[in-house]
Amino acid sequence: MNSVLEARDLRLVLKGRNIFAIDQFTLQSGEVMALVGPNGAGKSSLLLTLALLQTPTQGTILFKGQTVSRDNLFVLRRQMALVFQEALLLDTTVRRNITIALRIRGVLGHEAAVRTDRWLERFGILDLARRQARQLSGGEAQRASLARAFALEPEVLFLDEPFSSLDYPTRKVLLRDLGGVLQEMGMTAVFVTHDPTEIPYLATSVGVLHNGRIIKSGKVQEVLGTQLPGREEFQLWPD
Amino acid sequence: MGVVVEGFREAFRLLVTLNDEVLGITLRTIQVSGSSTLISVLLGIPAGAVVALNRFFGRAFLIDLINFGMGLAPVVVGLAVWLCFTRYGPLGMLNLLYTPTAMIVAQTIIAFPVVTGLTLASIQSVNPKMRLQMLSLGATRGQYLLLLIWEARLGILAAVIAGFGRVISEVGASMMVGGNVRGYTRVLTTATVMEIGKGQFELAMALSILLLLLNFFVVSVMSRLQQRGKI
Amino acid sequence: MLGRFRTMAMGMLLLAVGLAMPWKGETAESGMKDLILATTTSTQDSGLLDDLVPVFEKETGYRVKVIAVGTGHALAMAENGDADVVLCHAPESEKKLVDAGTVTNYQLVMHNDFLIVGPPEDPAGARGKSSVEALKAVMAENGLFISRGDDSGTHKKELSLWKQADISPTGRRNYLETGQGMGATLQMASEKGAYTLTDRGTYLSQKAHLKLEVLSEGEKSLLNIYHVMQVNPYKFTRVNAQGAKAFVGFMIAPQTQKMIGEFGQDKFGQPLFFPDAGKSM
Repeated sequence: MNSVLEARDLRLVLKGRNIFAIDQFTLQSGEVMALVGPNGAGKSSLLLTLALLQTPTQGTILFKGQTVSRDNLFVLRRQMALVFQEALLLDTTVRRNITIALRIRGVLGHEAAVRTDRWLERFGILDLARRQARQLSGGEAQRASLARAFALEPEVLFLDEPFSSLDYPTRKVLLRDLGGVLQEMGMTAVFVTHDPTEIPYLATSVGVLHNGRIIKSGKVQEVLGTQLPGREEFQLWPD
Repeated sequence: MGVVVEGFREAFRLLVTLNDEVLGITLRTIQVSGSSTLISVLLGIPAGAVVALNRFFGRAFLIDLINFGMGLAPVVVGLAVWLCFTRYGPLGMLNLLYTPTAMIVAQTIIAFPVVTGLTLASIQSVNPKMRLQMLSLGATRGQYLLLLIWEARLGILAAVIAGFGRVISEVGASMMVGGNVRGYTRVLTTATVMEIGKGQFELAMALSILLLLLNFFVVSVMSRLQQRGKI
Repeated sequence: MLGRFRTMAMGMLLLAVGLAMPWKGETAESGMKDLILATTTSTQDSGLLDDLVPVFEKETGYRVKVIAVGTGHALAMAENGDADVVLCHAPESEKKLVDAGTVTNYQLVMHNDFLIVGPPEDPAGARGKSSVEALKAVMAENGLFISRGDDSGTHKKELSLWKQADISPTGRRNYLETGQGMGATLQMASEKGAYTLTDRGTYLSQKAHLKLEVLSEGEKSLLNIYHVMQVNPYKFTRVNAQGAKAFVGFMIAPQTQKMIGEFGQDKFGQPLFFPDAGKSM
């Protein structure tokens, strides 16, 4: 039982609406799960809840066997990292964005510098280290956001539609790069997307969310089935 | 037109000859308005941040109050402070009427809502997703606050500039609670009004020019700081 | 960046200390060394106090806070015990305070006089007439008259003259009330080519800027009489009675009276005030 994340009876009700209702959820170490579904299916809310940033209306979450409660919330958050659709960088240089994030997590000095350089390099933006964050293009900013997330060396990585605001060519390159890194590091991750064509690049498993419930889940091959990669049309959920 | 020209000449003369009284008045203006701005900044920025970031009972009303306070007529504040500090008023035993301290109190009350309200608005205008991002990094309350203030710094600096501008140009409250006492509570604004009342227009013009120069100098320093964050 | 915050905080702390420095001398203990003198704006504007007060401060060590406001306000300060000593020139109003026991040690100090001034062309023909006749003429010829309208000593004097002339000027088209000090009122009269009642002191000090001439002067009814008085310390315990007594004594002392008589000689070629201590008016 190498589960990094487990959730039972997870429900979220906001303003009278049922956002999601998940009976059982498991994420194994090294698993990269794609959470797909149409807009409004509750994917982002589920992601935020699993990332411990949204309190569920009911249910239990276990992180590496530990039950999440108010007391350990803070500590456990620091073992995760989150990448949003918008890069959400601080208004300073690229390098400082990473070092500040590291500093928040108590990583300073030499160690911080080493990690920063390594990940800037890995995502191909070492030459942008001293550029102001607000001067970056969309793709560059997302690379910075990813570099930041990886530099934190999290146990779990969460990505919320990280590439949906980028143009197709940029997206393709980034998907390949990210896919490579995820494999290399054996990183455990959950990423949300509404574009199933991204799945084969990054994921090892898939969860299909529809109207707040998981209607299909399993390994990539199982769920995509005969809908092989290369085809632009996937039908994973009813129209 | 002649008054303006004469005014410039007089201002120049006063500065160059380092006229004692005028220098004293100018220094006092800086001290009084500088102190009030400083206090309202030290109180107002955290206050604005706290209100921006927390939900609590009566929050909407409090924000209404803050916004209302931004436009509060200074002379009304002056009257209220005067009533408090007058000898037989509630705070009369402090003997603060007609002192620079009373002026600082009144000016702080005037500037505080401005700084708070504009800080509040600046922090609210930071991308709400940024909040989540910072929380996901695992920022503590304190770190989170500092980061937000940094992100909102342009607006916050504008708040400081606005607060300062409001008090250095204020005359009604300063006159009322300070009394325009020579060598003690006389500042550039109250002195200007007095000279106008005396019909000494050149001197009044000169004092006004000094006030404008002072205002411009301080504000441009702050402005430079603000814009530097934008390179 | 968190480090930059630290430097900013330090900088602000230093700034705060720097700004607070001169306040060290001003603590509550200076309460008894302070003396609040309530007087009128025209008295302050004449500049007499700028000469006299430093002399008094040097002799006695008191710090005099000269609060120059409208006559009404000054007398109200006495009635509320907010001032220690009052120097004013509205004898009828002051009398009420004396009778009520609000003020004591009521002493005559000096006088100056009022003038009726107006445009040099004098369309209403007020020149040379007595004050009351001059006012009548202004109204008769529809000349413009500007009043202070602020309950000041000057205003009250003006109203008493209208009463003597049996004219009620308020509300008339050619009667404007500024609600402001003498300087501002003279300015307006000058701009509009109007008539007004002014004290000699303010008129002389602004003469260079004004297009107004003296049209009526010299009568007894145009006298502007100044008294100094203590706010009753038995009624108001927080009053600085010693300081107030010292100030009253100072104002009627022969040395001071001499200074009063000489004030303005060099600047205007004539004295602005006439010392009267000890006389009966």
